[in-house]
Amino acid sequence: MNCEVCQLKELDVEHFEIREVLRCILHTILFHRALGLVRPKDIDLELFEITYVQCGDVELERKIDEKIDQFLDRVEKHPNKKNQICLSFYEVKNKQPTWFTNKVERLYWEQWYINLNVAQHQKGHSGKSTSSKIVVDPEAEERTVRRAALEASLRDVLFQIIRFVNEKKDHIPPIPNLEGVSFPYEITISRFCIWNGNVQEDAPNRASYDAQLTSE
Amino acid sequence: MDLHSYPHGEHGRFEQIFNQFLLKSLHIILDSRVPMNRPPSRGGEIRKSDRWFNLVLGDRPAAMDSLSFWNRSLMEPMVIDIILVQESSYSLSEHDSRSTLATEMPAETVIERWVVQYEHQRSMAPQIGDAFYKKTYKKSIILLRSVYSMLRLLPAYKAFRKQQSFKQNCGFEINYKICSFGSPLLRSEEESMKNYSFIPIDAQQGRLSVSVMYRKDLSDFNLDSCVSHPIEIISDYVGSPLTDPMRAFPCTSSEKGHSISFQTRGRQSAPPSPFQRPHSWSSGLQRELSSQQSQPYSASPPLYRSPYEYSSSPTEAYIQRNQNQRFTANQKAPCDEILSPPFSSSPSPSPPTKSVIPFHNRRHPETAPMSIPHPMIARSPRYLSPNLSDPNRNSLPPLSPRNTKYDSSSHESPSGIRSIRRLDSTRTGEMSNTPTNAGPKLSRDSKEDSGRFSSLLSSSSSPRVGLSRTSSRLSFQDDFGDCDCPFIVDDVDPPDNQTSSNLGARNCSEVSSLAPSTMKKSQDAAVGALVHMLKTAPPLRQESCYYNTQSSKTEFEGEVGAASEFFKPRKASDAFEELKVYRQMKDLLLSKSSAHLVSKEKTEF
Repeated sequence: MNCEVCQLKELDVEHFEIREVLRCILHTILFHRALGLVRPKDIDLELFEITYVQCGDVELERKIDEKIDQFLDRVEKHPNKKNQICLSFYEVKNKQPTWFTNKVERLYWEQWYINLNVAQHQKGHSGKSTSSKIVVDPEAEERTVRRAALEASLRDVLFQIIRFVNEKKDHIPPIPNLEGVSFPYEITISRFCIWNGNVQEDAPNRASYDAQLTSE
Repeated sequence: MDLHSYPHGEHGRFEQIFNQFLLKSLHIILDSRVPMNRPPSRGGEIRKSDRWFNLVLGDRPAAMDSLSFWNRSLMEPMVIDIILVQESSYSLSEHDSRSTLATEMPAETVIERWVVQYEHQRSMAPQIGDAFYKKTYKKSIILLRSVYSMLRLLPAYKAFRKQQSFKQNCGFEINYKICSFGSPLLRSEEESMKNYSFIPIDAQQGRLSVSVMYRKDLSDFNLDSCVSHPIEIISDYVGSPLTDPMRAFPCTSSEKGHSISFQTRGRQSAPPSPFQRPHSWSSGLQRELSSQQSQPYSASPPLYRSPYEYSSSPTEAYIQRNQNQRFTANQKAPCDEILSPPFSSSPSPSPPTKSVIPFHNRRHPETAPMSIPHPMIARSPRYLSPNLSDPNRNSLPPLSPRNTKYDSSSHESPSGIRSIRRLDSTRTGEMSNTPTNAGPKLSRDSKEDSGRFSSLLSSSSSPRVGLSRTSSRLSFQDDFGDCDCPFIVDDVDPPDNQTSSNLGARNCSEVSSLAPSTMKKSQDAAVGALVHMLKTAPPLRQESCYYNTQSSKTEFEGEVGAASEFFKPRKASDAFEELKVYRQMKDLLLSKSSAHLVSKEKTEF
């Protein structure tokens, strides 16, 4: 079975926008992959004029918020310019235990890469500049322009998700669970970024590592 | 399509999937584009018809009852036009040319066109088998999810939200038109629209496809000029939830199955529409509902007047919006198999059972507006001038609504009321059997009040009646049964005097200082003040001004010591003692005011 990979469009976000953006994208993807009985819930973003859909699964919301918190912590600790979150769907294959391993095998059949370009300055976090008033106005105007661009990009990302979900349907395995998110999934946060299959140009020279934060 | 070339069962299943797909997609589109009043979701209960495609949307719009004709042929597409109707004067010329009715017509613009159809492909080998239809069903689920998400991303969603928030004040309306073919659009309209086609799903011998043509930009329509709901004074304001917690308030749309959370935006704030305000159920909403109820199939104002017609030929059908009929489908329970459509028992698809449920206010469980009875104002004339010559008249003092229920009742009443009735009967010469102690001292003029007052003081016969504030009120609740007024308004005192013993004391002083010409009135006022004190002022109240009366100072002095004794943990005996004190005070006041009336009362008793 093929593993379909979708690299979502890169988004330039500020620190305080990360949560909303990630919630929007992750929930949209999961809404299209939660093929069990769902009662959709429309959520309006506070920072943008965008409405996305949640599955209405409280447990899912909690898990996603946890991941987002971890991502935010990571961004703060390692202020790398580019960050990536990977949402993967997999099948669990019980592998015969051997002398060396007793693990179950995961067969990933779909992976979504959410690419965020986090602004380095933290002044945007509070929404207001702490510098003198002279600097506030041009920054506010710039922020407005940037916010509008981000909203348009976020809308493009959502369209991208819908297109991908529609185009790729044959690789979806049988549904193991009708409740909530039908397929097992994991959300990983990677620090070393891979863009379009290539190593990031401004990646650090030292060896990088991926922080595997599974959802199960 | 040759319906006879395939196994009857297989084809029946696929037809059912397709029919339900049409219904579901229409449900999704109408829910996301046309504001409709719908009953709130029923919580955890999910109807069988709502389980299709594992997408719970709640009750379907009434317009969907008329879609059964699509069952007859799979070849007919379903075209749903979302039309923006504006009555502004700026209407463009090309829009006017589209109007088919005479004279003035609002500008109509198709802002979206959804097409759901089955594309038959004869060259395609027929796909049969359980696995195939399950796969088709699974893909249909994903497709509908995409449609659901897409509807919220397109520009028309913003217009829908605006109309939903601002109702009549948004300057435009969103209407819809469902037919089996799309009316040709103007060139300029086509140029301003963009096309998106969802990837079709392979079906039995064809493909199930959904496509949308949407207007890229709605800024030309000036949709942002919505006027926020003007502030209006509710003339029939009936109270706040705090005063009447038992009153149900209309449910808002945010409580639907697919709940929409309207979070505060940074740039815009949508004021709550009138139907969301808990006290405006008397205005607008019920009128709207009643008008809908009286015209279940009337045309959709202001555009189309012809009712929907059942026809197997591809005719243009106009469906009125805001119909309030529930759609019920006669279907089997979902299969036990994972991700199986909830097929009906019969292999051939049968039109869903249409049950027209007359609309009623079930989804807005508000009660009719009622005005809080104001005993003070309503009964004050009677209170001021009691008709002493009418023994049968209800001589009870103006009571709170809790008490008035039993005033004219002839059946057995609780003991508290029983004492009142017996006091009334003594007026006419009947013997009183109640062991009440208030008889000889009651004046006829104050009979109304004293009757009630005696009900409070007859603690000897009615141990339930106490003098602590809470206990007396509770006892009243016991006495006067199931009246559910959350508060007792003292009918003899203004509401703002309820918690002020100062005012009570002042009333006492006023009573004693009034001239004989107004003596009757002051008696009542005094008695009422006492009653009020009994009910509201706790015995522990030790305000000095309570005893600061002009002429009754000496009389109260003796009570000071007694009253002070009550400033400690209460017992029943303490309450009884206090009751005696109050009774003495009342007697003193009455005796002071009118000696001749008292003596007259004595003779009568």
